[in-house]
Amino acid sequence: MTVTLPASPRTQVGRRRSNTWVGWSFILPNFLGFAVLTLVPVIASLALAFLDWDSYSTPRWVGLANFERMIHNDTFWTALRNTAYYAVGHVPLTLCAALGFAVLLNQRLRGVRFFRTALFFPYITSLVAVAVVWNMLLSPELGPVNQFLRAIGIDHPPGWTTSTTWAMPAVILASVWRDLGYYMILYLAGLQTIPGELYEAAQVDGASGWQRFWNITVPSLRPTTFFVLIMLTISSFKVFDLVQVMTEGGPGRSTLVLSQVIFREGITQGRFGYSSAVSMVLFVIVLTITVVQFQWQRRSER
Amino acid sequence: MKRHLTTTLAATAALALLTACGGGGDSGSGQTADGKQILKVALWNYATTPEFKAIIEGFENANPDIDVEPVDILADDYSEKVTTMLAGGDSTDVLTMKNVIDYSRFGTRGQLVPLTDEAKKLDPAKQSGLDAYDLDGKYYALPYRQDFWVLYYNKTLLKQAGVAESKLQNLSWDGYATLAKSLTKGDGANKVYGAHQHTWRSVVQATAAAQAGGDLLGGDYGFFKDQYRMTLDLQQGGTLMPWATASSQKITYDTMFATGKAALMPMGTWYASRLLADTKSGKTKVEWGMAPLPQRATDGKVTTFGSPTAFAVNKNSKHTDAAKKFVEWAASEAGATAVAKAGVTPSLQTQAILDTYFALPGVPNDAVAKSAFKPGEVVLEMPVGDKSSDVDQILVEEHELIMTGEKSLDDGLAEMSKRVKNEVG
Repeated sequence: MTVTLPASPRTQVGRRRSNTWVGWSFILPNFLGFAVLTLVPVIASLALAFLDWDSYSTPRWVGLANFERMIHNDTFWTALRNTAYYAVGHVPLTLCAALGFAVLLNQRLRGVRFFRTALFFPYITSLVAVAVVWNMLLSPELGPVNQFLRAIGIDHPPGWTTSTTWAMPAVILASVWRDLGYYMILYLAGLQTIPGELYEAAQVDGASGWQRFWNITVPSLRPTTFFVLIMLTISSFKVFDLVQVMTEGGPGRSTLVLSQVIFREGITQGRFGYSSAVSMVLFVIVLTITVVQFQWQRRSER
Repeated sequence: MKRHLTTTLAATAALALLTACGGGGDSGSGQTADGKQILKVALWNYATTPEFKAIIEGFENANPDIDVEPVDILADDYSEKVTTMLAGGDSTDVLTMKNVIDYSRFGTRGQLVPLTDEAKKLDPAKQSGLDAYDLDGKYYALPYRQDFWVLYYNKTLLKQAGVAESKLQNLSWDGYATLAKSLTKGDGANKVYGAHQHTWRSVVQATAAAQAGGDLLGGDYGFFKDQYRMTLDLQQGGTLMPWATASSQKITYDTMFATGKAALMPMGTWYASRLLADTKSGKTKVEWGMAPLPQRATDGKVTTFGSPTAFAVNKNSKHTDAAKKFVEWAASEAGATAVAKAGVTPSLQTQAILDTYFALPGVPNDAVAKSAFKPGEVVLEMPVGDKSSDVDQILVEEHELIMTGEKSLDDGLAEMSKRVKNEVG
């Protein structure tokens, strides 16, 4: 850009200052948006967590009352457990599936482009459509999944979204299917960066395919895996849309997740203080997990 | 020079972004080009909710100096949207109160203009649903519409089974169950259910509360038992579509009734206007009738439940007088006539207005339908209180568990009571 053109001689300080200005002016449009639409609300919600506010009347300071209410609220704990359940299912399954498909589709196969695209489709499909179609597939009486299960001799297939036991696995299944394409692309990019010589050398040494996967592919992909893990964890904990459309947290509260509690308490019931307190807890959980993952990554890099 | 230009450009771009965000405030003087007063009314699904158009047109004809501008909001998002609008200081003049719980929230927060004097002018004996808007002696909205639940039936299916329609005039829930069982026929894709009960909890719970005299906010839900037992029994026997299927497939009650897949269906009076419109446009060919909601006893007394809809004036409105005029007009006899002509049940119920309604083409106007429209008592679907929405959430969740068979009836009812007592203190 024009900025890099040699300018008339100036003092070092002057140049640095004007460079800073130019730098700021470049990130300013984006940063302003971030500051106004994200940073300020986040800080405000930190304060709101200690207030009682219905979005209209004057906020009232209530100290830790919101958190106290949360600790004694059964629904909060149910939602927290369900969110953890979802994350524990969603993160490893998506990660393994994405890695598996990436390795598979990194080969020279006929129609590999087609399969790569096909696996990416769910990710760009409207989420509401995805959820509705999965609901139909998993319908207890008429759904093709259960018809198939009956055909292969399972007399009492699970009730999926209508059963408290199977609703969460059904949601996890749909979400893994949806997200795997995106993370597969990330892994594919990672795989391209592994030098071919490593595999050749290993082959010369007589390493089997399995050994090559564990000793070359997996370690070389560590930065990618780390990134995928972080992104997956964060997205798992803030899952909302899929659950909202597929089960609305039901049956009962069996798939109720924290972001739904935040939405219901805040937007629907107008208890923005309490809802902010819950979102603070969610924030702290995600932050802690991310920090722990960073530490772990740093240690294993040494 | 060039460098300077870049900086300036970037700064300008940033500024433009800022001003773009800040723009879009109030849109002018509140008057049309020909000098009419503009009155904004927040409502939902304007195109498919005929009474709004009827009221607005009628009001404009009666007040040629006012131009009503509908602010159309998606029905599903209405409550949240209005809450957000009010929090942001929006000055839309008239707000439709979609349900009484939201109304009480807006009213107690002082977001609405008091209409107590206007409410006192109305006749509580004829203005059905007016008392639902009483907040400690003060009124902030006037009802223009009152829906209540009736039993819809498919005339063709009844005729085929040789059941006289007059039998529905005085039906008990036991009679309803027996009749529904006998009307069920077919299998697979051709199955006709004897009855369809939509997935809402009110179908069971509000019916029980209204007819057995229970308190939905009370925290003791033994009075649900009979109604649940009948429903579960019908579902078990295949007379009702399983709740789980209806819920996971998001089956609409209209699909079930308008395509002749169900013979009997308890539903609110709003559905009649939909049926009228769909019959007129040829979307459905179902021959339908209305009967009073079945009762616990056949002593001729009809108790049903329902909920009114009202207009209120926004505290931030700059045209309070015109807005009040609109609200009063909608609740008046002229407004009620316009509403009735749109095929919707108005809040003001006089014989003249009922006659207007039954004179509409397509409305079943036999004796059974006429008795359906004169219930002895309409109990408010959900009592108003600051805990209503919390209790509602719990009742919905436990209703799901009972209807999917995840919990036994007794366990489910016990859990409801326990949760309402513990969580909503």
